[in-house]
Amino acid sequence: MKASLKWLSDYVEVPTDIKELCDRLDLTGTGVEGVEKLGEQFDGVVVGHVLTCEAHPDSDHMHVVTVDVGAGEPVQIVCGAPNIAAGIKVPVATIGAVLPGDFKIKKSKLRGVTSCGMCCSQRELGMGSDHEGIWILPDDAPTGTPIAEYLGLGDTVLDLEITPNRPDSLSIAGLARELGAMYQRDWKSPLAEMAAKMQLDEAGAPLEDEVKITIDDDVRCPRYTARVIRGCKVGPSPDWMVERLAAIGQRSINNIVDVTNYILFLLGQPLHAFDLAKLKNADGLAHIVIRAAEEGEKLTTLDGEDRVLTSDMTVISTPEQGAVALAGVMGGLDTEVTEETVDILLEAATFEAGRTSRTSRNLGLISESSMRYERGVDDHDIDVRSAAAAALIAEVSGGTVARAASNGEGIVDEWPRATEAVQLQFRIPRFNAMMGSDIPRDFIEDILSRLGCEVSDGADADTLAVVAPTFRPDLEREIDLYEEVLRLWGMDRIAPTLPGGPGRVGTRSEEELKRDIVNRTLRSCGLNETMTYSFAQPDDLERLRMDPEGLGEAVELINPMNADQSVLRRSIIPGLLRSVAHNQAHGVKNIQLYEIGETFHAAEGRQLPKERTRIAGVLVGAMGDAGWNVAPQPFDFFDGKGVIESLVRELAIPKVHFKALSADEAPHLQPGRAAQVLSGGTVLGWVGELHPLAVDAFEAHGPVVAFELELSALIKSSQPARPYVDVPTFPAVSLDVAFVVDEDVTHEKLMQCMSSAGGKLLEDVQLFDVYRDAERIGAGKKSMAYALTWRAADRTLTSEEAEKAHQKLVKKVCGATGAEVRG
Amino acid sequence: MAIVDELAALQAETLAAIEAAADSAALEQVRVGVLGKSGTLTGYLRGMGQVPKEERAEVGKTVNAVRVVVEEALSARKAALAAAELEASMGANAVDITLPGRYQQLGTRHLINRIIDEVSEIFLGLGYSIAKGPEVETEYYNFNALNAPEDHPSRGLADTFYAVDRSDDAHVHVKGESSVLLRTQTSPVQARVMEAQKPPIYIISPGKVYRRDVADPSHLPQFHQIEGLVVDEGITFGDLKGTLEYVCKQIFGEERKTRFRAHYFPFTEPSAEVDVSCGICHGEGCRFCKGTGWLEILGCGMVDPNVYGYAGIDPEKYSGFAFGMGVERIACLKYNVPDLRMLVEGDMRFLRQF
Repeated sequence: MKASLKWLSDYVEVPTDIKELCDRLDLTGTGVEGVEKLGEQFDGVVVGHVLTCEAHPDSDHMHVVTVDVGAGEPVQIVCGAPNIAAGIKVPVATIGAVLPGDFKIKKSKLRGVTSCGMCCSQRELGMGSDHEGIWILPDDAPTGTPIAEYLGLGDTVLDLEITPNRPDSLSIAGLARELGAMYQRDWKSPLAEMAAKMQLDEAGAPLEDEVKITIDDDVRCPRYTARVIRGCKVGPSPDWMVERLAAIGQRSINNIVDVTNYILFLLGQPLHAFDLAKLKNADGLAHIVIRAAEEGEKLTTLDGEDRVLTSDMTVISTPEQGAVALAGVMGGLDTEVTEETVDILLEAATFEAGRTSRTSRNLGLISESSMRYERGVDDHDIDVRSAAAAALIAEVSGGTVARAASNGEGIVDEWPRATEAVQLQFRIPRFNAMMGSDIPRDFIEDILSRLGCEVSDGADADTLAVVAPTFRPDLEREIDLYEEVLRLWGMDRIAPTLPGGPGRVGTRSEEELKRDIVNRTLRSCGLNETMTYSFAQPDDLERLRMDPEGLGEAVELINPMNADQSVLRRSIIPGLLRSVAHNQAHGVKNIQLYEIGETFHAAEGRQLPKERTRIAGVLVGAMGDAGWNVAPQPFDFFDGKGVIESLVRELAIPKVHFKALSADEAPHLQPGRAAQVLSGGTVLGWVGELHPLAVDAFEAHGPVVAFELELSALIKSSQPARPYVDVPTFPAVSLDVAFVVDEDVTHEKLMQCMSSAGGKLLEDVQLFDVYRDAERIGAGKKSMAYALTWRAADRTLTSEEAEKAHQKLVKKVCGATGAEVRG
Repeated sequence: MAIVDELAALQAETLAAIEAAADSAALEQVRVGVLGKSGTLTGYLRGMGQVPKEERAEVGKTVNAVRVVVEEALSARKAALAAAELEASMGANAVDITLPGRYQQLGTRHLINRIIDEVSEIFLGLGYSIAKGPEVETEYYNFNALNAPEDHPSRGLADTFYAVDRSDDAHVHVKGESSVLLRTQTSPVQARVMEAQKPPIYIISPGKVYRRDVADPSHLPQFHQIEGLVVDEGITFGDLKGTLEYVCKQIFGEERKTRFRAHYFPFTEPSAEVDVSCGICHGEGCRFCKGTGWLEILGCGMVDPNVYGYAGIDPEKYSGFAFGMGVERIACLKYNVPDLRMLVEGDMRFLRQF
């Protein structure tokens, strides 16, 4: 809402310190988004009095003049205009002024004579086309007055952010009332005086012969009024109105439309002017019916657009023409006021807020009217505001306001549903207790009254009885009044305290604590946390080659930003792959990323999708670049697996094993480098190298080691703590063995055999070498070398004892796996 | 020459040889030459049988004395040589300590989560707990239960992401809207907490939220908020002010000022926006704060009684406050992140800065 301070000052005293005013507006809830100073382009241009005028010694047409500009010595100016003369008053641009066209006035010499300014023509000031000579001002123009001030062009226009609860502030009069409350100053409403100017045409045909109103649904339209102004001459508006509207950014259209805009901005009442002749039925009656639009009904609105309506919308219609306006939003093109219009039907009404809002949103049609109706237009006093408008139309267009024969009023008024004023109590002690303040009763009463409430003594000495004004639909409850008093008292005047509640403890949940462990562990493993979009492309899983089995349906957005973000992700991996590609495109080769975030899994019949928190990571390249003392190994499957092993250890997850995943089970992974991670029977997730085709599909370069785990499964499997085990006190015996086995005998299989054969003396087994050599150990075979630690908990194990157990183990393993011991 | 004299000569000769030994190996040769199996002094000991009886005691005593002196000299020289050799070997092993160390790469926390951690820590200290809620929400929790009017513009398709409703919810909507949406604020967690928990309630709820903004340097369609809610007996607007002033100082620094501007939110009454004084110009007004001297940092207010109504909490008995702040906004103000899109790109060169 743009507010001209000049316009406002007609109704309330406006502070002169603009900065202070803006701060006060900001703090009391009316945000100032911009300050525009009009007439600023004339800074440095003043009314000058030409004292002397001599011919220029070196020119046949220029003159040298001295001009009194109201300050200090008169200045000498060289002037080329033919109409310059001593004794006249002219606009003078002094040194430093900048005229339209970025023309800076500087001290200069014209044919050897110093000139300290310029006498201006209208065109030089950008005020018109008259360039015949300098602009001669009336003799009574006060010397030295800034020209903007003299011409009445100076104004400051504030661009105000009006919060949706304050329809009353969407008008100059409403802002004047607000300013009055802000500064505890009286304001003067223009309404009564304007309305009183309306004179009815006693002689003309009765109004009811021409206009009839039927409201079909009083929820959609609680009040509808019409006035008729006959014999109007549509034409340009008077200058004062053009200026007022121009100041707040409104272009002048014609005198009729301008009055409706003027009243809208002054009083907050949207109006619509119809060409009465175009509304009339064959019988000469304009029968206005306010009804629901028919589904598919068509209307061409004022902006020339053909609109297809729905039954949720409300239309103004006549029986013969159908819809002629979209209630509260925009008028129809066919019945608009044109230069040929003579008789005008002036609509002033109120419409249901929610429906107006939906209509304008559905049609993408936000107008000054709809903005006000969707916040609520007071049904009280519509007749008075309409009278003010009718009087003004009559004044600017020469028309007369028609009179109804039945009641002598100049209005047809259907008001089936009147808003009741809300009666509230204001418990002063409760208010002060809740605000932590000590605001005196006098202040409370004064502020509420200035805001338009009726305030009287309440049920007891500490309570006020308050009737809220109907133009403030936001004042429905006692608390709403508290807000008014607090904001105008000043939130800055409330002393800061801390809550004293005794029942307060800050705790972190089990889930958060475990999540912290996961985060810390992943970072200890060298992974960097990132965040990617929850949005995904519909074919992300397909491109990743990931089996959607168990991942539900994608959540589809109705209004996505773009096709690439039209669903929600079911896996974090595509997002991470996009980041891998981004890094690689920018020359970053070593990438270690992880994200903990939600994935979304919809199912038919269920309103909200299942949200799962997943932990996903990608490792590409190596942990670092080659250094003088380090030779980084390129990442492979075992780096990913190592991360999982660290997580499992830190979270104390028991019975973890890795199960090989086949190409069918995990098509997104490279066969032979893919594993499922389980704790007992619970699936925790997967780890592996992504399938090269999946990596290609995201324009990344592999190999990409990745994993994706389910946080809830990790937390569920995680033990509160690992149990204590005695630190060994007796020495151990270490013995090595290398088994030559077929390729399909896994490490896991050998471990199981060793662990069951080793008994309780076998403390630890470490794999220290895997060796293949077709010539020495045979094709399709591998040598697996283990270091075994033998120890007894209660005595020193002799080497003979250890050797015996070791040989027994070797024999059993060979028997069970077909292994041979490598000599 | 008498044996005793021979021994004296041997002692002198040996001591000189010990002194002359340049390293441990030479010293060992000297030792073997004197005290080894066929060493010179060992020869005398072995030859004691041939020594005339009357001289035997004298010679034996002398041989032993010589041996003691030689052994002492040997061990002293050995220690000296070892010390010298250790010095020499350490000298040879000196490194250029300005060469880079051998280190294990540690990963980094994402800036947004780093800020959330920091703010959570402040509130844990004030006795708050942390609550979470779903990111895909119902219209009810995101708007209705927070007292947002049915026709509130923020519900519009231009601002809120709506998702296909897979249930048979028959509620009538504006074209394109549905009962399922991506939460536009973390406030629905408030509504859920109040439904599930009786006062006293002291929670914060950090999380992702979504609004239909085109990604540009200062907007993302997906960002983060930290929402707070307090419901208890006797909570005042002063408590809200005191809490948020404390928190702003903790986040931005003790010297920063705060101001409360009255505002409107459907779920709080009275409502306010909070600004902190600009850290660049300290309130004078500069380009960073668009000349105002203040930076908007959060929205807050006393919980609206209607919101209590949805949760069945008695507004005559309890009062409370709620607030919400944008985490990305803090990232911009505190860490000068010039382009929010960096937060979702996963660029290693950005991530590893924090």
